[in-house]
Amino acid sequence: MVQYQERLDSAFNAVADPTRRGVLERLGRRSLSITELADAFDMTLTGMRKHVRILEDAGLVKSQKIGRVRTCTLGPRRLAEEAAWIGRYQKMLEERLDSLGEFLERTKGEYP
Amino acid sequence: MTATTQRATITTPTEREIHVERTFDASRDRVWDAYTKPELVAQWWGRGNKLVIEKMEVERGGHWRFVEHHDGGTDGFEGRYREVAPKDRIVQTFEWDGMPGYVIINTVEFQDLGDGRTKLVTTSLFSSEEERDGFLKSGMEGGMNESYLALDRLLAKLE
Repeated sequence: MVQYQERLDSAFNAVADPTRRGVLERLGRRSLSITELADAFDMTLTGMRKHVRILEDAGLVKSQKIGRVRTCTLGPRRLAEEAAWIGRYQKMLEERLDSLGEFLERTKGEYP
Repeated sequence: MTATTQRATITTPTEREIHVERTFDASRDRVWDAYTKPELVAQWWGRGNKLVIEKMEVERGGHWRFVEHHDGGTDGFEGRYREVAPKDRIVQTFEWDGMPGYVIINTVEFQDLGDGRTKLVTTSLFSSEEERDGFLKSGMEGGMNESYLALDRLLAKLE
């Protein structure tokens, strides 16, 4: 239980960063190489490797080098799913607030 | 985005919480209505996706269930209202069909800034599966014992 809590806390730290949340969200859909991830976030390979390392340390992502390509997948545990969900939830929350703002602008004067 | 409607500010005050504040250029009445009237919620909650509001009982203990329809299929979300203080505060649980049993507790506060604008303060509290399992188990044991006591009393009467 305590160990699980520590893991969940480190998972929260890992997902505190928007790029890492984005990485988890994408890996939730399919496996990607470091190069693909770096391209997706307009980032250097070195920068992306650092993010992936933090996610790996938290047990959220695993990576495997085959030939010259390092492929990342979402970690095997329930924790990784939870962390991916936290990232997804936060993105949805932001999108909903954007959407609410647009709605309120659009309907000015339409209802009191 | 306009000059008066700010982007959300996001912080994580504890490791289990996501805290989002956002100011809207709209009265508190309008923001409250947009949040609690199904015909208005249907127009923004889906983030551009079609939204079907299957259930929305805005009252303590009331059930809500929204389904987003998009190209990739549907996503269902649901929960219950734990607290509804009109124009002030809503506390509700939030679950996504894709993570059944993983409950987020959402608190939304509506702050009238006094200049026609409203600040919405949203706090989402995540709990781990194991914590919840422990809580549910103890709650169920309590309930179970009460049921057994009631059964005992009933049986005593019948004798």
